[in-house]
Amino acid sequence: MAFTPAAIVFSVLTVATYVIANFVYLRFRKTPLNPVITATVALVAILILFDIPYETYMEGGDWVAAFLGPAVVALAVPLYKHRELLQKNLVPIAAGIVAGVIAGLVSGTLFTRWLGFTEELILTVLPKSLTTPVAMQVASTIGGIPSLAAVFVMVAGFTGILLGPYLLHLLNIDSPIGRGIGLGASAHGLGTAKAFEYGPEDASMSSVAMTLAAVLGALLSPLAAWLLL
Amino acid sequence: MKIVRIILQLLVLYGFLLIGEAIQALLQLPMPGSIIGFLLLFSALLLKIYPLEWIDAGATFLLSFLSLYFIPATVGVVDYGPLFSGKGVLLLPIVIISTLITMAAAGFASQYIANRSAAAQKEES
Repeated sequence: MAFTPAAIVFSVLTVATYVIANFVYLRFRKTPLNPVITATVALVAILILFDIPYETYMEGGDWVAAFLGPAVVALAVPLYKHRELLQKNLVPIAAGIVAGVIAGLVSGTLFTRWLGFTEELILTVLPKSLTTPVAMQVASTIGGIPSLAAVFVMVAGFTGILLGPYLLHLLNIDSPIGRGIGLGASAHGLGTAKAFEYGPEDASMSSVAMTLAAVLGALLSPLAAWLLL
Repeated sequence: MKIVRIILQLLVLYGFLLIGEAIQALLQLPMPGSIIGFLLLFSALLLKIYPLEWIDAGATFLLSFLSLYFIPATVGVVDYGPLFSGKGVLLLPIVIISTLITMAAAGFASQYIANRSAAAQKEES
């Protein structure tokens, strides 16, 4: 990370775009206006419009992305705060996380392999249900493409928000633990935001599920890649 | 001085990350150093080695802007436009279906086990 003019311009631009995107989201509160989506679209448009290579942008982008690692570490704090909920429901939570993570890794790998995608793309799809910072770091650890992995994580998140409620209803998953673990394990932070609409207990479950699925997913992804490829 | 406390705690988080990355490099583990740092911090909190008050403000502050930090990465999709105009577009339905399978498995398993242990407890009492 160099301290160049581009670094200053593009880190400030990223933060400013994010602030505006957040403001727009808080003003209208519509799911498609999710600040990650709008900020990404705006920044991509700026890069294309002014013909700026992604590499140049990343001189500043790297400064912002440097917070990802500490943020993953920080996830220990909300999980610790939920330790009583976790202790009280340890077996059902663990069962849900293990089932979800394995189902996600296996189905993602097999579908991409059946359609004949390259190994690099299979490894990029693999961590899609993990929270974005973890998914990106897992993708780069196992040989996938971190920025594409982040895109798939967003697709997974929106799937959870938009289709999740129908699926849960269809399968008679109607308890806070079932809904919360289902949403958190498959659709991470976006799923947790959806779980808030069901109630605080759903949201706590989902938040716990998001973190545990990220940890288990990070541990099992290399194994899944090795076994299934 | 809340600001000073937050900055110091951010440095502690960064310290956990560095230790995690050092362990990862040393043992050649196939998982991100940040996850190892996470496990270390979580264990330290659980074992009461490190008190929550010494990390809470910094962690909460850092996590309240979580989505900002991955925007530079999602912008990277700009280099992958051609992928999605070809066969790569099939990756989207794959991700959607696999996400639904994940949700069904996780939600069903946790609810089923929870109901079963609740029923077992009822029988005992």
